Amino acid sequence: MTFWEIIVSMLGQGLFTTIVTTILAAILALVLGFAGGLMRLSNNRFVRFIVAIYVEVFRGTSLLVQLFWIYFVLPMFGITMSALTAAVLAIGLNYGAYTSEVVRSGIQSVDKGQTEASIALNFTPAQRMRRIIIPQAFIIMLPNLGNQLIELFKSTSLVALITLTDLTYQANVLNASTLQTTEIYTALLVLYFLIAWPLTKGIQILERKLTEGRM
Amino acid sequence: MAEPIVKYNKVTKYFDDLQVLDEIDFEIQPGEKVALIGPSGSGKTTFARLLMMLEEITDGTIEVEGEYLWHEKDDKGNLKPASSEHQRKVRSNIGMVFQHFHLFPHMTVLQNIIEAPVTVQGRDKKEATKAGKDMLDKVGLLDKADAYPAQLSGGQKQRVAIARALVMQPKVLIFDEPTSALDPELVGEVLEVIKSIADEGEASMLLITHEMDFAKEVADRIAFFDGGKIVEDGPPSDILYNPQSERLKDFLERFMNTQ
Ligand SMILES: Nc1ncnc2c1ncn2[C@@H]1O[C@H](COP(=O)(O)OP(=O)(O)OP(=O)(O)O)[C@@H](O)[C@H]1O
Ligand SMILES: [Mg+2]
Repeated sequence: MTFWEIIVSMLGQGLFTTIVTTILAAILALVLGFAGGLMRLSNNRFVRFIVAIYVEVFRGTSLLVQLFWIYFVLPMFGITMSALTAAVLAIGLNYGAYTSEVVRSGIQSVDKGQTEASIALNFTPAQRMRRIIIPQAFIIMLPNLGNQLIELFKSTSLVALITLTDLTYQANVLNASTLQTTEIYTALLVLYFLIAWPLTKGIQILERKLTEGRM
Repeated sequence: MAEPIVKYNKVTKYFDDLQVLDEIDFEIQPGEKVALIGPSGSGKTTFARLLMMLEEITDGTIEVEGEYLWHEKDDKGNLKPASSEHQRKVRSNIGMVFQHFHLFPHMTVLQNIIEAPVTVQGRDKKEATKAGKDMLDKVGLLDKADAYPAQLSGGQKQRVAIARALVMQPKVLIFDEPTSALDPELVGEVLEVIKSIADEGEASMLLITHEMDFAKEVADRIAFFDGGKIVEDGPPSDILYNPQSERLKDFLERFMNTQ
């Protein structure tokens, strides 16, 4: 196979699976990250404690082990799920833990004066978060969130190990049948880069758009 | 005499072990402009922030238009800590202008001004926009409606902050050293705006300032803080030209020397 043919043969199912896994896991991570980050700032100690445990557990163990555990161990407790669901769950939970820390520190780094001005204007705590604090915190978080998205995207290559037919899985299959190892894994490298690079750029552009003339 | 709009009853404030306010009684009449002066660390800011609910009260009560700010009466008529609904209702009468402006950097000037009327007061967006523009006109910044705060000078920022507070139609407006973060050449434009609202406004004002001439010009009354107490309280001419206590005499003397 030529280099070109190798790339084309990975573009179908493999690319699709990688992208779908990335998008779904990123949405889950973002939702968990925002919920967790806000709960981490709650006045309720119990709520803070629950989130702290979640964060420590998922940061303190490896994503690969979490993936295996969800896909291979949970079925023994009668919880079975498709490889895609397991992949999204593991990656989303793992990155959600990191994201919650990004969200928490982003919110905390918004100037305290913004909170005071909001109180003086009689905002409710929820209105204050939604209209004043989070929009500013989001801009502070954006570079970190962008990095995490790239990391998350790259980490999806692990899902090949639970038999999900993503880019990496297809490369492995192709390698086993053709043994063109150099071409195949070079093509894989190029494909990951071609997706990651515009993502990075896109986030930089978004960042510039959001801060233009304002900060 | 009319009912006071603000009434402090034996208000005490501690930060941990540090006593900052010591059983202060104090009243502001409707429409009255009161200046607070006193040495650094004497508790002026803390005193005002209690009224804006930016600090927790330790002891005593504050009433706004006869309603407790930090407390509510329970069924038996005993005071208990106020619910957040009650706090917000009473607090809606109070507005504040900060030393460091605290404009919302992610919003334009006009958005800064109409955000709270629309989101908090639920006013119609068209009406709020019109009121906001009128307010901007009043502080002389109508042409900056679409600018972002980062594009303004300090004096302009503070005028926007004043418009933002005014559009909420507070009955009491607090200013905490509104010009001390400004370059000297920008102080005048802000004082002028404050003076014009003081002249035409029905709102009461609580003005913390180190600008004695300005205090004299704008205030109906000056209260002198020292050591967590109000040591003297009276018409500007009495306070500034006929001080009774040694502490106020010292303060004014030191103040004159540094001018
Ligand atoms: N959040 C806080 N925690 C602990 N101590 C505080 C806090 N805020 C103020 N203080 C202390 O309370 C005292 C009164 O401070 P405050 O800011 O009310 O004085 P002030 O009269 O406004 O002074 P200035 O003229 O310098 O603004 C000071 O000793 C100050 O250090
Ligand atoms: Mg002060």
